[in-house]
Amino acid sequence: MRGFTTMFFSLLLVGILTLAFFTPVLNAGIGESGTIAADAGKAKTVKELIEMYDSDSCAECHKEIYDQWKKSLHARSIFGPEESGRTAATFRTTLLNGLKKWKFSGVAGPEDVKVEHLRICTKCHLPQLEDATDEVASEIMNMIVNWAEEGDEKAEETIQALNINCLICHNRNAITHKWTDGYPQKGVVYGTKDGDHFSESMPEMRRSPIMQESILCGQCHGLGPNLELDNPTQCATLYGYYLWSYQAEGGRETCQECHMKKSKLGHNIQSYRSSAMREAALDFKVEVTGFQWRDGSKMVPLTEVVVEMTNKAGHAIPDG
Amino acid sequence: MTATLDNGKKIFKDSKVFMPVPGRMGRGDKMGRGPYEKSGIIRDSALPPMRTITEKYDIPFPFEDVKERGKRVRKILAREMTINVELWYMPYGSRNDDDNNTLFRKFTKKVTIE
Repeated sequence: MRGFTTMFFSLLLVGILTLAFFTPVLNAGIGESGTIAADAGKAKTVKELIEMYDSDSCAECHKEIYDQWKKSLHARSIFGPEESGRTAATFRTTLLNGLKKWKFSGVAGPEDVKVEHLRICTKCHLPQLEDATDEVASEIMNMIVNWAEEGDEKAEETIQALNINCLICHNRNAITHKWTDGYPQKGVVYGTKDGDHFSESMPEMRRSPIMQESILCGQCHGLGPNLELDNPTQCATLYGYYLWSYQAEGGRETCQECHMKKSKLGHNIQSYRSSAMREAALDFKVEVTGFQWRDGSKMVPLTEVVVEMTNKAGHAIPDG
Repeated sequence: MTATLDNGKKIFKDSKVFMPVPGRMGRGDKMGRGPYEKSGIIRDSALPPMRTITEKYDIPFPFEDVKERGKRVRKILAREMTINVELWYMPYGSRNDDDNNTLFRKFTKKVTIE
């Protein structure tokens, strides 16, 4: 009887520990348990994180859109431009010039980097890192250092597979007001209509109330200092300008209208690197006049140059 | 922008920076550079949306005042100059960054006086 009791309590303890280990910590709202991350549990490796939000199957039916996205920086959101890897290089600078130098950060090297450290970059460059353990943050930082310092090509390939893909915008980040509209559910593609979606893993389409609103982009493209962080950072200020300059001046278009529709770039969302966006961004008018101004009894030969720049974008140029 | 004479001599050169200047760690008067240290804006000269920013320049043609027959007269040394105006986007703030710097607009015109 005593042996049975011991076994019972041992099993109970294992059960409790298993639950504690695999059940993600959920917020107060109802329905968070139905999200992709809650269903899968926290990713414990980079590979698991990539698999959790793997969007490759989207290309089977939406090849054109997928190919457009592949050309965008969203497809390399922590690596940056293909030729330079500038974003990854800045992650490394953040470690060297920031985290390692700040005496209260608790970071001496890449191995100490936790999700909350990397969040100063990944809040926007890889929001799904929130659905991973601290070990994943450290693994990413190590890969970036190995790529930057030793030219590790495999690391580069993996870093490029961590990105803002279909499932980030069309599921994970598709709803901002989760207590109002519900938490984004596993198996649902959020877009502009409701209905069936012909995919085994994503069998349902639902309308996201913000899919065509600027706030969808504003989640990452910035208000200024991210004051919710223990050590606030500031990368983008676009959404701040959009709200308090562009809209305040009477601007009414959305990010999507300019960057996706009018530009005809679709999901190849671009900024200054695209000639279409550069062309649309501003009016540039220069007038030059040669004349001779009479200063008393003498003529002063002059050229007057008047440069007029009218920003037609929905934000300042540049932002920062 | 530059003004150049027909003989290739550059007689005027000026550049202006349009950008929000981020504060460093949200304090003091120093500009921050990396996103990890930027917080706030200490000066903003970026091109604001929906508004026109105008820059004006008066560029003198070269001249000299000489004495001729007992009178001081103004002699204009060149009556043509070429104005070049370029608007560049320099995302990383360096002039020597051909991979990233992008020419937004370019204007060239020859100006003549009588």
